[in-house]
Amino acid sequence: MNQQDQVEHLFRHEYGKLVALLSRRIGMQHVDTIEDSVQWAMTQALEFWCRERIPNHPSAWLYKVAYRQLISELRNTKRRNELLVEHFPVEENIADEDTTFSGEMSDSMLRMLFITCDDTIPTESQLVFTLKSLCGFSIKEIAHRLFITEANVYKRFSRAKQQLKQQNIELNTFNYGEMATRLPSVHRILYLVFTEGYLSSHTDMAIRHDLCEEAIHLTTLLTSSKLGEVPDSFALLALMYFHQARMKSRQDGVGALLLLEQQDRSQWNKQQITVAMEFLAQSADGDEISRYHIEAGIAAEHCLSPSFKQTRWDKIATSYQLLEHIAPSPLHQLNRAIATAEWQNPQAGLAVLKSSNIPSWLERSYHWYTVLADLYFRCNEVTLGQEYAKLAIAAAPTKSIKQLLNKRLVKR
Amino acid sequence: MKNKTYMCILRSESGGCEQPSPSEMEIMYAKYQAWQEKFADNILDMGNKLANVGSVVRHDGVNDGPFIELKEVIGGYMMLTAATLDEAIEVIKASPMVSNIGTSIEIREICTP
Repeated sequence: MNQQDQVEHLFRHEYGKLVALLSRRIGMQHVDTIEDSVQWAMTQALEFWCRERIPNHPSAWLYKVAYRQLISELRNTKRRNELLVEHFPVEENIADEDTTFSGEMSDSMLRMLFITCDDTIPTESQLVFTLKSLCGFSIKEIAHRLFITEANVYKRFSRAKQQLKQQNIELNTFNYGEMATRLPSVHRILYLVFTEGYLSSHTDMAIRHDLCEEAIHLTTLLTSSKLGEVPDSFALLALMYFHQARMKSRQDGVGALLLLEQQDRSQWNKQQITVAMEFLAQSADGDEISRYHIEAGIAAEHCLSPSFKQTRWDKIATSYQLLEHIAPSPLHQLNRAIATAEWQNPQAGLAVLKSSNIPSWLERSYHWYTVLADLYFRCNEVTLGQEYAKLAIAAAPTKSIKQLLNKRLVKR
Repeated sequence: MKNKTYMCILRSESGGCEQPSPSEMEIMYAKYQAWQEKFADNILDMGNKLANVGSVVRHDGVNDGPFIELKEVIGGYMMLTAATLDEAIEVIKASPMVSNIGTSIEIREICTP
């Protein structure tokens, strides 16, 4: 392995592991000081690794430096912590080759993730806390990725942190039974991290990739743990890989979004599709079916189909119907309308939309207008089509989406 | 032509700047690696960082740091080898260190008899 590879995302990935491990050993109530110490250790690393070589065991190096800094900070700043600090040796010796160390790190990271996914903390705060403390993104970077202001990120982050500090759960004693009940919330957060990256219309590919990669990183960690190796986790991971495989072909040379029909299927990453298929097979254990199973199934249909025309639209339409039952969302209905139009005809697609109660928020969104415009055009109802096309473009949130719609709906 | 040796003295403005995020550090580290690889023949010694406490000894006494009266603090040094001062300047100009606002690097030839 060359040094460059070794370092790719080393800082960011180590950040989360170190924060988790120190929170476990020293206590969640010190999470602020812990984050500062880890940050400090990384600054030191940057300084020393550039001058000398990167140590053979960067994790252990960072841990020692962060630990020392943390203890001295706790000693210096809070007299009331003196008693507590006495319990910890100044130098904590860990052998560089310690394999249980890396195991403990991963385990701590998972525990921290489960603690974060607490139903009393709003989902958006859970998301921000996960991105900040476990994925190592800064407030600024999160704001940039979630399209919200830094102040807003900070507010969400503080809220989660406050609550977690108050609860002061011992990461060590947090038991498996308690953790197991939180598994669905953990899946939801990982799914959110992924979709924030995948669905975002950010023109900077790197930024979107970041979030998808983090989601895959954490989900992989989850599937390799005793608690997390359940069908739903594998389905979620399969779903992520299927989408990831198509990621590159979703943009043209200048960064504009491309529709499925126009994507160059030869660009889809076959290796990732194979990996996804393996996870999908692993997820087919037991008799429970989750939304992740169905979504992964739909993504698999797309990935395995040789062309847009040859896609098994019948299977996709029925999958969306099933999805509506398991996880009701009007977006699934919209997707079913699209699939039905391809499977049967545009009129049948329109009928799906007319027969359902679409909530007002969706009725004003560009998704809704776009599908309507497209279907009306295809039914030769040009006036209605144009009307909805205008509404769709006006409602589109970003320039790249406006361009995409313009290409699809106006220049037909 | 025999190469000369240069000492590069790194100064930076005292006072904290915003802490880089882990991904920014990753990028910085990658830049350092690329720079060091490119100029491996010129870089003799990456030198060291200097602590910001220390003392100044004069005939009339000893002044202890930190030297807060100075706006710029010497933060570190490194050694280069180059045929000319211009070449040394090029190496330093390409380094990620100078891209930090508030950092200046002084290049001085080490005189040998």
